[in-house]
Amino acid sequence: MSLIYAFSVSALMGVGIYLMLSRHLMRMLFGVVILSTAANLLIFVSGGLQAVAPPIIQGDMNILGETAANPLPQALILTAIVIGFALVAFAAALVLKAYGTIGSVFTDDQNDAERLGSPFYEEGPRNG
Amino acid sequence: MIFAWSILGAMGAAFLAWPLSQVLPRLSGWILSLAPLSIFFLLLGEIGSVSDGAAHVKSFAWVPSLNIELAFRLDGFSLLFALLISGIGTLVTIYAGSYFNGKSTADKGRFLSLILAFMAAMLGTVLSDNLIVMFVFWELTSLISFLLIGFDGEKSEARASALQSLIVTAGGGLVLFAGIVLIGITLDTFSVSEVLERAGELVASQLAGVIAACVIVGAFTKSAQFPFHFWLPNAMAAPTPASAYLHSATMVKLGVFLLARFDQVFATLPGFGETLVVAGSITMLVSGLKAIRAESFKAILAQSTVASLGILVMLIGLDSEVAAVATVGFILAHALYKAALFFCAGTAIHATGEARLANLRGLGRALPFTAIATILASLSMAGLPPFVGFISKEYLFEAQLDSSWAIFPVVVAVIVNAVMVGVAGVVSIRPYYWPTKTPTVVEHGETPGMLVGPMALAGFGILIGLFPAIVAGTVIAPAASALRGEQIEVSFGLWHGLTPMLALSVIVVVIGSVIAIWWEAIHRRLAQYDRFFSLLGDRFYRSAIDSTLALAASSTKLLQNGDQRRYTAVVVLTVTAALAAAFVSMPDFAFLAAEGDIRFAVVAVLALMVLGAIATALVRSLIAGLVASGLVGFGTAVLFMMHGAPDLALTQIAVETLLVVLLTAVLLRLPARRRHSRTGGERNRDAVLALGFALMIFVALASVGVSPIDLRLSEYFANASYVEAYGRNVVNVILVDFRAIDTLGEIAVVAFATVAAWGLLRGPAKLIRTKD
Repeated sequence: MSLIYAFSVSALMGVGIYLMLSRHLMRMLFGVVILSTAANLLIFVSGGLQAVAPPIIQGDMNILGETAANPLPQALILTAIVIGFALVAFAAALVLKAYGTIGSVFTDDQNDAERLGSPFYEEGPRNG
Repeated sequence: MIFAWSILGAMGAAFLAWPLSQVLPRLSGWILSLAPLSIFFLLLGEIGSVSDGAAHVKSFAWVPSLNIELAFRLDGFSLLFALLISGIGTLVTIYAGSYFNGKSTADKGRFLSLILAFMAAMLGTVLSDNLIVMFVFWELTSLISFLLIGFDGEKSEARASALQSLIVTAGGGLVLFAGIVLIGITLDTFSVSEVLERAGELVASQLAGVIAACVIVGAFTKSAQFPFHFWLPNAMAAPTPASAYLHSATMVKLGVFLLARFDQVFATLPGFGETLVVAGSITMLVSGLKAIRAESFKAILAQSTVASLGILVMLIGLDSEVAAVATVGFILAHALYKAALFFCAGTAIHATGEARLANLRGLGRALPFTAIATILASLSMAGLPPFVGFISKEYLFEAQLDSSWAIFPVVVAVIVNAVMVGVAGVVSIRPYYWPTKTPTVVEHGETPGMLVGPMALAGFGILIGLFPAIVAGTVIAPAASALRGEQIEVSFGLWHGLTPMLALSVIVVVIGSVIAIWWEAIHRRLAQYDRFFSLLGDRFYRSAIDSTLALAASSTKLLQNGDQRRYTAVVVLTVTAALAAAFVSMPDFAFLAAEGDIRFAVVAVLALMVLGAIATALVRSLIAGLVASGLVGFGTAVLFMMHGAPDLALTQIAVETLLVVLLTAVLLRLPARRRHSRTGGERNRDAVLALGFALMIFVALASVGVSPIDLRLSEYFANASYVEAYGRNVVNVILVDFRAIDTLGEIAVVAFATVAAWGLLRGPAKLIRTKD
């Protein structure tokens, strides 16, 4: 089972990377969504998946039972999900604004700050 | 021990120079010269204390934990240099005051300030007893000389020359620093005095050869020795007062100073003296030839300076006892006549606005005193009696004949001294007294400020020549004794009898006269061999600089090419490579730990997610891609549910739903996807890259189960949640209680993102440019 998990998570990550390498802003954003989901799963899988009961302390006990799932990765992932959502939402707003002002959703058109191919607008004077 | 404060005095004067030049623009040179003058007399007062070969050390704590203290040392040799620096510094300050009278007061103040700061750095270098302190001052001289050479910053030639001198001298300084650190490692001290005492220990150590090489490179770059000889003539782009100071008396002699100091240490090291003699001789020959080829007045003097430095380096390399006296004598003689000649050249160039020697004619009438000073200094340079140059040249030949070397250095010295005679004849007679029908037009005559320097130096040259006793016992003998590390008796006299040295002098004068008379012809003949001489110039420096710049440009084009895709690819590739390297470097790596029973429901969900992800990558429509990527998100929620994480599942579902709504809203405003943003080849390469990344993740994740999970934190939370925080949902308790501040931070991030997105999207978007 662990190998199936490993395969699935790595496949998701591979697709995420492939999409992030695109020059289309929305496809990059899809890549970010998939990659962050896969990263959450990676943490989840690393925390161990043997126990399946929720990490909730039963009414008659003071401590968590033996069969409960590992609470620590869950706490981490909960934070990560929300942060990931905030990131994607802000990036989506940026895409929208960029399209509104530049009229393109391709990164190779958005080169006002940095010209493609060469960082120099013209060759500087040579020394001497 | 008041000498150590002279450095501070010079620095103070440097700070005063600019405001003073604003208030009293015409007099500032004269007033400021009082600072170096008083330092000069202060140092004169120290002559008695070092005449017995003693050395005085004064130190203040600076960085005691690193063995670095502000330690200063005065012995005969450093006193000689300090006297030259402050004495010529006085004259340079006066001269510069007059030289800059025609220019703006801002320029004048800046120049005087730099000259005085330079003097402080020079004094610091020669007076330091701690090698680290000396290095700091050493590099300071390189920096200030950069500012002085590039003083006329609006000329590209001056900028290039300044940069060249900085790269060569400061670069060599770094090599010297490496040598200093190695000395510190070997002897556990940076004190010059201690290094001199424990010379045997240093030479016997394994690092001796490396240290000597570092010191030699540092000295050769500073003193413009072959193969670093090219920067000094280019540095003539500096205003002439700076040339007189930097390139005659002081800065370029720092390398000589360093070598002379360390010669006492490394004299017994095999190859040290030989290296100096050979490099010095090559420098002498190359710069001697280039002096005849040179066209500008200052360049001729500069090349002869390089030749003189070669003579000094060669002298230090010689092993005869009299070489120390010859070195000291020649340092003194050369400083006197070369500074005077630079002053005179500056006056002639300043008065006429003409820098080429060939165009300066008949100036004897307009600049009579400058002409006389030039003649006097030239005669000293030519090594004719009764000038100090004659005495020092006799000693030069004596040192060579006394040494264990064969005839080779003598021949080189004869040739180069003959060239010096030629140069002396040409620079003194041609511009001033050569018969001409069309004298060069003189814009203005001499001013007192521009006469004091050359007249004083030239007069002093003949005074010492006639009465050598003035300096023999007071300056020369202590300096030479400090170099040898033992007391030396010096008979610094004009007449030594009919010796072989006298015969050599006669030969030199005869050949030199021939060179002076046939100067034009030899000059024209040598001017033809451009190709050969370009090999001896700064061609290699230029190609090194050019290829460095080309490398920078091409690497920038490669790495900073402005394409987001390439940046991402570089990051992914780096992570993949780092992971791969980590795996390879693990000695006994066990991976692929298959564990747990296969749950078919989970497998089905996972399969659905992977298919959804692949579909996202493959479908053309963006809306379809959004739907497909939704499969991944909702599948994750189901997985969370199946593995005992209901909170995560709830959050994931909520977020995923919001995302679909939000991204759909965005997609509705964007154009439908019409073209691929990547070429087929690019997509294939990206697929390979993504596959490699995925493979590394797979290997990493598959091997996670091999080592047991560290459950200490989980157990702590499991045990403490109810007992300490009174919560039964452990995940919730972690978030809102144990890690409450983190959660607050997270909320803040979401709030910032909301505010920022609102700021971006409010109001209508204004199209600033259209594409497609």
